[in-house]
Amino acid sequence: MSTQVQTAPPRKILRYRVAPRINHAVLATSFILLLITGLILLWSPVSFLAAGGRSGVLHRLGAVLFMLVPILYLIDDRRGAKELLWDSFHYDKDDVAWLKHILQYFMGRTANMPPQGRLNAGQKFHHASVVIVSAFIVVSGLVLWFAKGSLGADGLAMTATVHDISMLILTVLLVGHLYFTFVYKALPGMTTGYIPEEEARLEHSKWVDSLPDEAPYKVNE
Amino acid sequence: MATYAFLLDLARCIGCQACVVACKTGNELPLGTKYITISERTQGTFPNLQGGFQNHRCYHCTDASCVAVCPTGALFKEDGLTRMDRAKCSGCTYCVDACPFGVPVMVDGISTKCDACTAVVKAGGQPWCVKTCPSHALMYGERDQILAEAQARVESIKARYPNAQVYGEKEAGGLGVVVVLPDSPEVVDLPVDPQPKLLVTGWQKAVQPLTLGLTSLSVIVTGIAAVIARRNHMQELKTLHQAETAGSEKAGEE
Repeated sequence: MSTQVQTAPPRKILRYRVAPRINHAVLATSFILLLITGLILLWSPVSFLAAGGRSGVLHRLGAVLFMLVPILYLIDDRRGAKELLWDSFHYDKDDVAWLKHILQYFMGRTANMPPQGRLNAGQKFHHASVVIVSAFIVVSGLVLWFAKGSLGADGLAMTATVHDISMLILTVLLVGHLYFTFVYKALPGMTTGYIPEEEARLEHSKWVDSLPDEAPYKVNE
Repeated sequence: MATYAFLLDLARCIGCQACVVACKTGNELPLGTKYITISERTQGTFPNLQGGFQNHRCYHCTDASCVAVCPTGALFKEDGLTRMDRAKCSGCTYCVDACPFGVPVMVDGISTKCDACTAVVKAGGQPWCVKTCPSHALMYGERDQILAEAQARVESIKARYPNAQVYGEKEAGGLGVVVVLPDSPEVVDLPVDPQPKLLVTGWQKAVQPLTLGLTSLSVIVTGIAAVIARRNHMQELKTLHQAETAGSEKAGEE
């Protein structure tokens, strides 16, 4: 006689509330705008698009949006920003062990990785790097914006070098960010705010265990 | 291919400003804009005074820093001279910062400097400043001939000006304005070594290609790895599902 199998309904975990999703959207939009309008000046086949200064105006618009993100965090998600910064710069034993197996994670295998909190060690490293390098790109960008014409050859070369290398690091971080989003199907977390519990448990078991067993943290699909 | 140059003989310049006016009117430059500025310079104390007329203008460097840093190709080299396509200028001001002579200025958001009277010269004429100079301090022609003329003029004034020299033969790869100097370059505020700065060259030749190259490499590497890694993760999730289903069935049987 066959047995009726009773399985628990799949659940979703609240990954991002509305405020961080808005902030993320502003950051993403501004960075893409900055990247495209910046690359126009670097890549000669498309540099004609900069003629007349139109891409320069868009670059400055992107820069203002980019610099607005920390202010947005202060307004709509101060606690989240604090937690994000704290988490990004603090690494426990599991994080160190996790980083030792990062190649395994890079290749899409996370089942046997050390248990992780809300952010895995790779995400912590990513966020910390974004914060530090963004400071460099903002300062060098402001210098290029407001001191242009009075920098001298060495001043221009040094400032532009810092700006270019910061851009390189942030772009490689973005490529990595998109890569892991694709590999681990992470986009719904940022669009709907929720991710499947089983996948959250696979990658962030310590965090899932720490969440209250109730809505809005854990809801049925 | 022939390269062209100006001769600027500061031993003959009388500071009359005729070239300034001819350039401004001939090129129909807007109010407040000029490609040449002449000012008097003196050094020392009476009666041992040294002096001359400083001629602030584009020197058309062969290794032109402004051309090197221009991201849109608005500034470019042609016939040995530094020309400009104003329609391509993005207004970034990199050329203003990079020029060792401090020549380009921004006018209405567009970089502005002498383009060696491109249209007039291509039509077979002489640049406006050359045409109007009453003391023959200015000449325009093939660079080899201009250089020979400059050397001859320096030799002819050595008795009166012992420190006389040709400026621009080798400086910044060779200037498109070869200057007959009665004295050292500093007397008329010319940079002794107007070579492109090492940092500028490094930024252009190393940092920018490296930035583009590594960005592209990261896209290629992750693009290939993404296909494999995503398959690995989906397999991992499938295994997890199978284990959970097997666990539930076992629990159901019990």
